[in-house]
Amino acid sequence: MMVIILLVLHIALGIFALQVRDMLVAVIALAAVSLMSALLFFFLDAPDVALTEAAVGAGVTSFLFVWFVRKTERRSGE
Amino acid sequence: MNRTGILQVVSRKLAPFVVLFGFYLVSYGHLTPGGGFQGGVVIAAGVILLLLGQPPERLEGLVNVRLFGLVETVSLLLFLGAGIIGIILGGAFLQVLLPTGSAGRITDAGFIFILNVVIGMKVGAGITVICYRLFMES
Repeated sequence: MMVIILLVLHIALGIFALQVRDMLVAVIALAAVSLMSALLFFFLDAPDVALTEAAVGAGVTSFLFVWFVRKTERRSGE
Repeated sequence: MNRTGILQVVSRKLAPFVVLFGFYLVSYGHLTPGGGFQGGVVIAAGVILLLLGQPPERLEGLVNVRLFGLVETVSLLLFLGAGIIGIILGGAFLQVLLPTGSAGRITDAGFIFILNVVIGMKVGAGITVICYRLFMES
């Protein structure tokens, strides 16, 4: 049950990150997808992979993406 | 971009605990979930959090890039050295030469603890240098 909830949250957050116009919000949504992945790995009894996903996906990658957003356009053009 | 004092205060208070958790992950890598790579990434994330809290004009020279690059290279050589000592003395790459004892203690794991620490140093220093150079590139 928990796994299904997490998978639905994955899809919803992914669609939100694709549809939103503000790039910074999209990056935060991607970080939230990463966090959901870490939780999913944890519930599937893979705490090692969950740690890697939380550290790399939600930590370092979000930093890099925020930096790239700051270097380029924040609003995505239509 | 205007910034408030919240980011600075929170990052200063939180980053030491993040780095400490990274050291825990590295040193208990063979007993609990974690290990060299995960711990190294968490250490690097702590250092980056510390850098993010600083005002941009104080960032210059805060991380010694040459020292961190040296740490990364030397840890690679230490890993290779530990493997090659195994070839010379034991007959196989990464042959365990240290005495192993009961499970559950940090020091009784033979080479695994040393290799975890070396990989943690390498990954932490490498990712810190990558993100710092990207940070200063403007």
